Amino acid sequence: MKALERALSWLLSGRRQTASHALLAPAVLWLLIFLVTPALGLVALSLARNGAYGDVVWSLGLRNYRRAFAPQFAPVLLRTVGFASATTALCLLLGYPLAYFLSFRAGRWRGALIIALMVPFWTSSLVAFYSWMIILGKEGLINAALMRFGFLSSPMGMLYTPFSVLLGLVYFYLPFTVLPLYGSLEKIPRQYVEAAYDLGAPRWAAFREVTLPLSLPGVIAGALLTFIPCLGDFLTAELLGGPRYYLLGNLISNQFLMAQDWPFGAALTSLLLAGMIAGLWLYRRWEPDA
Amino acid sequence: MGADFSRRDFLKAAVLAPLLPSFLAACRRAESGRVVNFFNWSDYIGKDTLPNFTKRTGIQVRYDLFADEEEMFAKLRAGARGYDLVVIGDYLIPRFRALNMIEPIPPGALANMGNLAPRFRHASYDPEEATVPYLWGTTGIAYNRRTLKRKPTSWWDLWDPRYKDRLSMLDNVRDCISVAMQLLNIPETTNSEADFQKVRDLLVRQKPLVKMYSSTSYLNSLVAGEIDLAMTWSGDLFQAAKDNPDLDYALPKEGTYMWVDCLALMRGCRHRQDALRLIDYLLEPKVAADNADFVRYASPNEKAWPFVDPVLRRDPRVYPPKKMMDALMLHHILDPEQTERWNELWADVKVA
Repeated sequence: MKALERALSWLLSGRRQTASHALLAPAVLWLLIFLVTPALGLVALSLARNGAYGDVVWSLGLRNYRRAFAPQFAPVLLRTVGFASATTALCLLLGYPLAYFLSFRAGRWRGALIIALMVPFWTSSLVAFYSWMIILGKEGLINAALMRFGFLSSPMGMLYTPFSVLLGLVYFYLPFTVLPLYGSLEKIPRQYVEAAYDLGAPRWAAFREVTLPLSLPGVIAGALLTFIPCLGDFLTAELLGGPRYYLLGNLISNQFLMAQDWPFGAALTSLLLAGMIAGLWLYRRWEPDA
Repeated sequence: MGADFSRRDFLKAAVLAPLLPSFLAACRRAESGRVVNFFNWSDYIGKDTLPNFTKRTGIQVRYDLFADEEEMFAKLRAGARGYDLVVIGDYLIPRFRALNMIEPIPPGALANMGNLAPRFRHASYDPEEATVPYLWGTTGIAYNRRTLKRKPTSWWDLWDPRYKDRLSMLDNVRDCISVAMQLLNIPETTNSEADFQKVRDLLVRQKPLVKMYSSTSYLNSLVAGEIDLAMTWSGDLFQAAKDNPDLDYALPKEGTYMWVDCLALMRGCRHRQDALRLIDYLLEPKVAADNADFVRYASPNEKAWPFVDPVLRRDPRVYPPKKMMDALMLHHILDPEQTERWNELWADVKVA
C-alpha cells in the first residue's frame, strides 16, 4: 500500500518530466494502436489494387484516388456536405435556445433536463431509427392520427424523403451540439451580463454584445462535433433515406460490404479523413483564443 | 437492502449486471461443450427445427444471421472465425471453393443424402457435391392485390412510372443485373463494355421510381402498405403474406431465376462431426418438410414432399409444375473479372 502511494505521488508530482510522460503513456499507446496504426493501414490499402473476388493486390498506385475524383461521385459528395451543413445549422438553431435555457433558466430542473437530453443519446441509434420508421410510415402514428381527424384523405409520404433523413440526423446529433454549447454558456460569469444591464444595455443588446460572443467557442465546437461525424454517417440514410439520398458513408460502406473493393473504399475513407484533418487544422489556425 | 445499498454498490451492479448472462452462458457452454456455430439468412429456419435438434442430440446450436450474401461473404473473407456451417447461394459455391473457404463434405458422410431429388444432385454449380442443398426458391414480383388492382405480368412493370415511389428492388447484384440483362437480351456471359453501359442505363432509368433497394426491410414496408410492388424472393413474400393477406406473388412472363441455397462446412471448422450431424438432421424428411413449411420455400428433399403441407405442395408458386420448373434459369456463374465488373456496375447504379 505504502509503495503504491509513493508511486502515485511521484506520478502526480508534476515537476518531473518522466512522471508527466508516464501519465501520458497509456493514452498515447492507445491512440497509436487503435487510431494511428489502422489509419496508416488504411492509407496503405488505398494504394493497392482490387483483385479477383475482392483480393487485395499490392501493386501500388494512385488509381483509386483518380477514380474517387470521377464526376459520377461529385453528387454524392455535394449531397453529403449539404446534409451535414443543414443538420449542423438546424442543430445550432434548435440547440442554442435549449442550451441557453438549460444554463440560465432551468434552475433546479437542470439535472433532470440534461438527463432527458442524454437519454436518446444512450439508446442504440438502430432502435431509435426503427422507432422513427414506425412513427413516419404510411400507416404510422402521424399518418394514422392525421387521417382519423380528417386532416388527410390519403397518407402522406414522409419516410424515405430528405425530411426523414434530416430529422434522423438532427435527432441523433442534437446532444453533440447542445453539450459543448451548454458548457461554454455555463462558463460565462454572470457578473458580466449583470454589468451590461447596469450600464443600461437592454436584454437583447447584452445578449448580443456579451453572452453571444463569449459562447462562440461553444458554438464552433458544437458545430464541428456535429458536422464531422455527419459527413461519415451512413446508418441514417440507409434506414430513413431512400436510394436517392445516398451519402458518402453509404458509398464507403458499400465498397467494403457489397462491391468487395476494399482499396477503393480505403481511398474514399482516406480522403474523408484528410478533409476532416484539414478542416480541424484551419479551425485551429483561425480560432481566436482557446 | 435499503440504506446499505450505497451509490457505489449501485454503480458496481450496473456495470456488472450486463455481463452476468454471458458469464452464465459461458459456464453452461463449458459444461456441455458440444456446439455448432451456424451462419444463416434471417428468417430462414423453422421455429422448432434447431431446438428439436438440441433436445435430441444435446448439441447446442449458436445461430447467427445475415441479411445479404455479399455482406456475409465480406465478413467471412475478412476473417470472421468460428462458424462451422454456413448457408450460401448456388452461385457463390464456385467462389467459396476457389478461395478455399469451405471444406467439401466427404462423400458418404451423410446417411440422408439420398433423400434429395435427382435434380438437385451433382448440379452445375456444385458437380462434386461439396455442399448440400438446403432450400430453393425463385425470384419474382410481390404485389399488393388490393392497392395495385392488376396483377403484374412482366419485369417491365417494375419500370412503370405509374408505380413511382411504390416499388422496391432487391439490394442484390445478381438479381438486379440478371433481370436487366434479360430485358435487354444481353447474355449474362457478356464482357462487352457497351453491354454493361446499357445495363447501367436501364437500372439508372428505373432509380427515380424505386423507393428502396432492400433485401429484408422491404418486407415490412410491403406488409405496412408503404410500397405495393417489389422484386422479391418467393418464400420471403409468402412469410410476409401471413401478416398481410393482400400480398401475392407473380412470376414474370419473361421467365425467371431459381436459386438453391446450400449448406457448407467452413474451412477449419472446429465442430465438424456435430455440424455434419446437423446437416444430416436437416435432411430428414419430416424435419426438412416442417422447416420448408415454416419458411415457405421449397424443399429439394424428395422424401420430404409427402410430409409437406398439402396446401403449399399444390401451390405452383412454391412448387412449380415440371413444365414451369424446366423454364426456370439458374444464375450464370461469373468468373473473377465478371464478378468485379458486376459489383462495380451495381455500385455505379447506387451512386447515380
